[in-house]
Amino acid sequence: MKVAISAEDTTLGAPVSRRFGVSPYLIIVDLDTGEWEAVRNPGSSGKRGAGVEAIVLVISKGVNAVVTGYCSPPIRKHLESNGVDVFTGLSGTVEDAVGIYRKGEIQKKQEFESNALDRWSFLRAGTITNAFKSSGNQFATMLPILFSVVLLMGLVNALVPGELLASLFSGSALFDTLWGACLGSILAGNPVNSYVIGGELLKQGVSLFAVTALIITWVTVGLVQLPAEMAALGRRFALVRNAVCFILAVPIALMTVVILNVVTG
Amino acid sequence: MSSMTRGIGQETKGRRSLKRIGLSLGSVVVFYGAMYTLAPDTALTALKASAKISLALCLPLSLVFSVMFLLNLFVRPAQIAGVFSRNTGMKGMLLSAAAGIISMGPIFAWYPLMKKMREEGAGEGPIAVFLYNRAVKPFLLPVMIAYFGWTYVALVTILTILGSIVLGYSMNAVSGD
Repeated sequence: MKVAISAEDTTLGAPVSRRFGVSPYLIIVDLDTGEWEAVRNPGSSGKRGAGVEAIVLVISKGVNAVVTGYCSPPIRKHLESNGVDVFTGLSGTVEDAVGIYRKGEIQKKQEFESNALDRWSFLRAGTITNAFKSSGNQFATMLPILFSVVLLMGLVNALVPGELLASLFSGSALFDTLWGACLGSILAGNPVNSYVIGGELLKQGVSLFAVTALIITWVTVGLVQLPAEMAALGRRFALVRNAVCFILAVPIALMTVVILNVVTG
Repeated sequence: MSSMTRGIGQETKGRRSLKRIGLSLGSVVVFYGAMYTLAPDTALTALKASAKISLALCLPLSLVFSVMFLLNLFVRPAQIAGVFSRNTGMKGMLLSAAAGIISMGPIFAWYPLMKKMREEGAGEGPIAVFLYNRAVKPFLLPVMIAYFGWTYVALVTILTILGSIVLGYSMNAVSGD
């Protein structure tokens, strides 16, 4: 049983921090073994989305309960929906808070109706509005580029004869797949664009091997995002991952089309 | 100070992204305008072809919005972090695949979380599996099905998930996790 207490410092004698999301440290105490560790709260920066980082930390550390002075409703909701109990209204030192928690004197505040067992929480007006807003934003971000792609495909249809496009592909399954994989690795963006481009190319006579490889590598291989991936996850990881993904795209595309041909006759 | 710098950096990145979107759409529109003055018939043919594609996309896109809404209603980023597994075994790979499939938004938005998971001991395999399965987009399936049909989409999806497991074990082997 692990408890995370928001703290002003890294010792058990430190005062309990008033706000969980932005407290400087979280002291995680294992009540079974008595072991504890002080972790810098990634949310202490106070930047946008910092609360999510604190939530991720608590979940990844396998914490069962959070003890703090105050916890904002969205953070509480996320923690509780992930099975982490939240106890608020605590003050004094971290050691005191652990003692109170151990004795069971702490009362879980029922400030909000939602908890992990509330299976109907998604029906609340706020949740539905937020989901609607998020979807609207994601959709609105996707549409301008999709519209550009549609306009471009209209141009390709009008300007480039289908025979010319098809002639770029040799008809060899392996070569077409490699060619499609190269194209998909260079291009990037929302996968829906790859479906539109792939579908339209298919209508123009481009082989399904090439189109399938293009769709697979569009997301899995990202030459454009490579610098960002290297910065975040390391040079070796990014290079090996992209290389393996490119190689994998070839057999996956070949198998997809071959099996499809067998299934559909 | 450093967080402040990061905040400004993120804002600039957002603006850059908006600028890029505007530039892409703007340049296509300008190209159409130029073409209309030079070869009006070809421009009209291209516009008609675009309109035809747009019409074909209307129904799948409305379904896309519906599925997106349902995912936003039921799935939250913290839950994805909870599903994502640091375990490098088969169970961990499958859980990470599930997390990748239900995740939404641009890939670079997930790099910070993956970085954090990596720092906290997550294997390279599960991270690679998560990133690979972002190719499986349940909310975009209506568009994919409209273009390629059910059988094809089912095959690509199954083989992509299987491929991600191969990738995960390959990454584990390379990293020694």
